Amino acid sequence: MAIVNRTPDSFYRPGVTWDEQKALDRVHEVVAEGADILDVGGVPAKPPDDVTVAEEIRRAVPFIATVRAAYPDLVISVDTWRHEVARAACEAGADLLNDTWGGWDPKLAEVAAEAGAGIVCSHAGGLRPRTRPFRVAYPDVMADVLGHVLKLAGRAERAGVDKARIIIDPAHDFGKNTWHSLEVTRRLGEMTATGWPVLLSASHKDFVGETLGAGIEDRLAGTLAVTAVGAWLGARVFRVHNVTETRQALDMVAAIRGDQLPARLVRGLA
Amino acid sequence: MIARAAVCPSPPLLARELTGRAPVLPELRAACAAAVARLLSPAPDVVIVVGAGHATAAWDPGGRLDLAAWAPGLGVRGTPGLPLPLGLGAMLLDAAGYAGRRVMQAVGEAEPAAACLRLGASLADSAPAAAMLVMGDGSARRSPAAPGHFDERAEPFDFAVEQAIKDGDMAAIAALDPALARELMATGRAAWQVLAGALGAGRAPAGEIVYADAPFGVGYLVAVLAAPGSDGGQAGRRPSGADRAPRRPGAAASVPRRRPG
Repeated sequence: MAIVNRTPDSFYRPGVTWDEQKALDRVHEVVAEGADILDVGGVPAKPPDDVTVAEEIRRAVPFIATVRAAYPDLVISVDTWRHEVARAACEAGADLLNDTWGGWDPKLAEVAAEAGAGIVCSHAGGLRPRTRPFRVAYPDVMADVLGHVLKLAGRAERAGVDKARIIIDPAHDFGKNTWHSLEVTRRLGEMTATGWPVLLSASHKDFVGETLGAGIEDRLAGTLAVTAVGAWLGARVFRVHNVTETRQALDMVAAIRGDQLPARLVRGLA
Repeated sequence: MIARAAVCPSPPLLARELTGRAPVLPELRAACAAAVARLLSPAPDVVIVVGAGHATAAWDPGGRLDLAAWAPGLGVRGTPGLPLPLGLGAMLLDAAGYAGRRVMQAVGEAEPAAACLRLGASLADSAPAAAMLVMGDGSARRSPAAPGHFDERAEPFDFAVEQAIKDGDMAAIAALDPALARELMATGRAAWQVLAGALGAGRAPAGEIVYADAPFGVGYLVAVLAAPGSDGGQAGRRPSGADRAPRRPGAAASVPRRRPG
């Protein structure tokens, strides 16, 4: 899942795809690099909450329509917590609602059901959208994650979302300090064991930066390490900025796991 | 007696399963398949597969290659696991659809030439119309990237073998020096000398070289031969000049070639 943000102020390389043509160029690039899913967002995660519904729609929805026209078969995800945005996005051709804020707007699942779209059920520790964690604590963070995402998945299913289109996501950094994000990474197998497909969104996030003492531009290796561990533990969708490197890391893990054949082997066999 | 013989190399990568998603040298596999098809037509009483092993011994004719020894991740086990050359020989026979009688004969890789010749002669005496599939490789020191790095004696050694097979010169095969072969990592030496013993260490009808190259620095030779006085006259016939095709390192070698000059 490749990230293309329609924002001027996202945390990683802010504004790089704010210009519509640059965003479309980026789409061509990530598709060529092997992305299966495109995740389009019109609002950054950080505060303040200053983007209106109308503005979010203006940023994301026409762009989704453009991408849909260019790529009829690409899975398009919209990164939003608002059902109004989700509905407009689905009308423009979006297939998946990436609700990073943990089901803040309960109508989102209804929109997914109406549109036949998929939905990502994530854990944000009950945080209001576009807020940062403040002294968050959990008796057992993975238990909290599991309890919440399974509740959301059940709610989505009851709302009529196709069971095969429901994904769960621990949402690293959302409502979590770095210890919590490391813990949910370590215990990701508990999420994959539920049978729901698991999305892992770790690309360049603060828990990688804090763990490594690495600035925003120096977090690729850490991101790939999280990706590899997540893949080993059975995660299925990886939301990333770097498609080529992620593909390689995933292909490597798939070969180690025995899920995929290596490309071309001669060493020691000639 | 031996009615017909085929020579094939025995690198693990001959097993398609081992090379991953890429076929790697499909032309080599095609050459081996072609040679084995010729070996099996007309149908022999028995196919004697000869290849190097730690010791001279007959193996279970029902044995197969234990792929898991080379690729544990594949989870494919052949039971009982034959030595690599015999296992690949069994694989080639299976691929050709051969369901007749088999003899799986390992020859000790350090066996002296005389012992190899005697073994070949006794195998030839064991059946009235046997086919012999000889699994053996040339030097693994043909290039700097080769498993055994480069040795300038490697290419002349392999060319001499190729020429002897082409000329049906079994005396030259019988005279191969085991010590030199060992230094050059030419693991086919013992098996080729079993072939010489089986065909009689004099002059046999000309052999046909189907493939001769060293794309990964190991000499691979695929050839078809017939015994003296057999119906093997087809072996060795080819358009004149074809054996003058230029040697292109690393290129697919589906045409017979010989040493330049």
